[in-house]
Amino acid sequence: MAQTEETLERLGVPADKLEHHRLRLDDDPDVRTEEMLLNVGPQHPSTHGVFRLLVKIRGETILDAEPVIGYLHRGTEKLAEDLQYTQIIPYTDRLDYLAAMLNNYALCHTVEEALGLEIPERAEYLRVIVMELQRIASHLLFIGTYLLDLGAMSPFLYVFQERERIVQMFNKICGARLTYNYMRIGGVKWDAPPGWLDEVRAFVPFMKERIKMYDDLITGNEIFLNRTRGIGQYDTETALKYGLSGINLRCTGFAWDLRRKKPYSIYDRFEFDIPVGTRGDCFDRYYLHLLEMQQSLRIVEQALDQIPDSGPVLGKVPKLIRVPKGEYYSGIEGARGELGFYIVSDGKDKPYRLKIRKPSFVNLQLLPELLRGQNIANLIAILGAVDIVLGEVDA
Amino acid sequence: MSEEERKAETTAPQAPSAASAANRAAGAGESGAKAEAKPAAAKAQAAKAAPPDPRVEAAKAVAEQIKQVLVREFGEAAVEETGVAHRTPMVRVRKQDWPKAVEFLRTHPDWKLNYAECMAGTDYPDYIEIVLYVQSTELGHFVCLKTRTDRDPAEVPSLVASHPGLNWEEREIYDLLGVRFTGHPDLRRIMMWEGFKGHPLRKDYREWD
Repeated sequence: MAQTEETLERLGVPADKLEHHRLRLDDDPDVRTEEMLLNVGPQHPSTHGVFRLLVKIRGETILDAEPVIGYLHRGTEKLAEDLQYTQIIPYTDRLDYLAAMLNNYALCHTVEEALGLEIPERAEYLRVIVMELQRIASHLLFIGTYLLDLGAMSPFLYVFQERERIVQMFNKICGARLTYNYMRIGGVKWDAPPGWLDEVRAFVPFMKERIKMYDDLITGNEIFLNRTRGIGQYDTETALKYGLSGINLRCTGFAWDLRRKKPYSIYDRFEFDIPVGTRGDCFDRYYLHLLEMQQSLRIVEQALDQIPDSGPVLGKVPKLIRVPKGEYYSGIEGARGELGFYIVSDGKDKPYRLKIRKPSFVNLQLLPELLRGQNIANLIAILGAVDIVLGEVDA
Repeated sequence: MSEEERKAETTAPQAPSAASAANRAAGAGESGAKAEAKPAAAKAQAAKAAPPDPRVEAAKAVAEQIKQVLVREFGEAAVEETGVAHRTPMVRVRKQDWPKAVEFLRTHPDWKLNYAECMAGTDYPDYIEIVLYVQSTELGHFVCLKTRTDRDPAEVPSLVASHPGLNWEEREIYDLLGVRFTGHPDLRRIMMWEGFKGHPLRKDYREWD
């Protein structure tokens, strides 16, 4: 008994929550309890890939957790050193494979910054449209899988309907459903086929309705609220210390969105808000995904109104791209946080060093802190809300 | 843009983008004025007489200011080099002063570089360079800090005490580049498995011996 009390104190469990975490078994002198090591993953549906978590538990309280990653490590950074800049683009598709368009853009953007390229207007708009559609597709999948993690089966099947429409549209514009390789340094590979923009326009009101439906279905659900409200809470200071970005940072009430803070591309031409949370818990993280989809739709709508009717989609780019000697870093607001590329060039057509600032990788570090002192049942709820994609974590 | 102007803008609640645009000008400054700026830039390029980029000049000035602050605290030898990394102010700090300088800038009231964005290591022929892109969420500064170490033994003091978020970044650099971070609480391989030989991101790494 005393030992458990001490452990909980050491873990910093607040006094009013002690009762909740106290192990009933310890009150019984006939029952012996001991620490236990529980292995979660690497093959576990709730880890969203191959992610292993070693959890030390006592009764149902998590004493410590240790993430083990690297199962999907392909050495993209090393591979890139032997590839020309255009050849690296398909490799970025395989980082965060749920938001490949954003990865494409992040790399192209860094190289374009280094070269000081001008991007044709129509290409910029096409990029913004596909990037925001991609953000919606990625957020949709988060909502589906998160609810699935928490035991709600149907949302997972629902979200694939809208996602399928987006994926079909991507298929029409670039011929691929998952790994697009659509962006090029200086623009995009293909112009939108006839009727494509109308299709996107028709999608917007449909999606708005669906977001409303999800809001009605999920947000007020009492079981869902009980599972997520006040779970996995942290404040802005902690988030900044750990370098969190994206929704993981904004859920604490801190309005930090690189589309506004460092307006790349043509984001300064659009009106949109940055939704922020209030408590920094799992529920806020879920709800921000819904709200951000609405803002993305707003951007898509405005982009559709402003896009020029015709024009080139690829700027004047030399056949062999040589980045001037130097080092370059630029980040964009990816679906999961700040996605950045750091390139060191020695003036050749291949990077001397390419480093990827992976938002999931950085965001995941807080996990052991969040899990300590929690009930084992909250493990999946907290892990799911961090929203990781292992292809990106391991790169 | 002068230091005062930037600060004045940062304090205004609705001007975060303008504030950060000042020294992290990557695409920010020109976006509004893109249409006007384009022909001018094209002409300048055609004439091959590129005038000094004002954003680069501003970044150099900021780097110089940081140098002054650091020199006052740690002495002349602490700062080895200042310059720009593209358009970002760059300051290279002596290895011994690395964690102290980062912590000092994190808490310094004029800089408050509290948000570490990206940490990378690069293997050059004669040294390994550690790069930290760090920014101030409050004041809008965006700075590139660097330090260098020999390739063998490669050893740099850890920054985890100031920025816990760099824990895994340092582990990754240790794993792939073989830089030992002294004072790191948990320095183990992170991507490769325990028992793996060598550090793959080193330029002289060979898979088969």
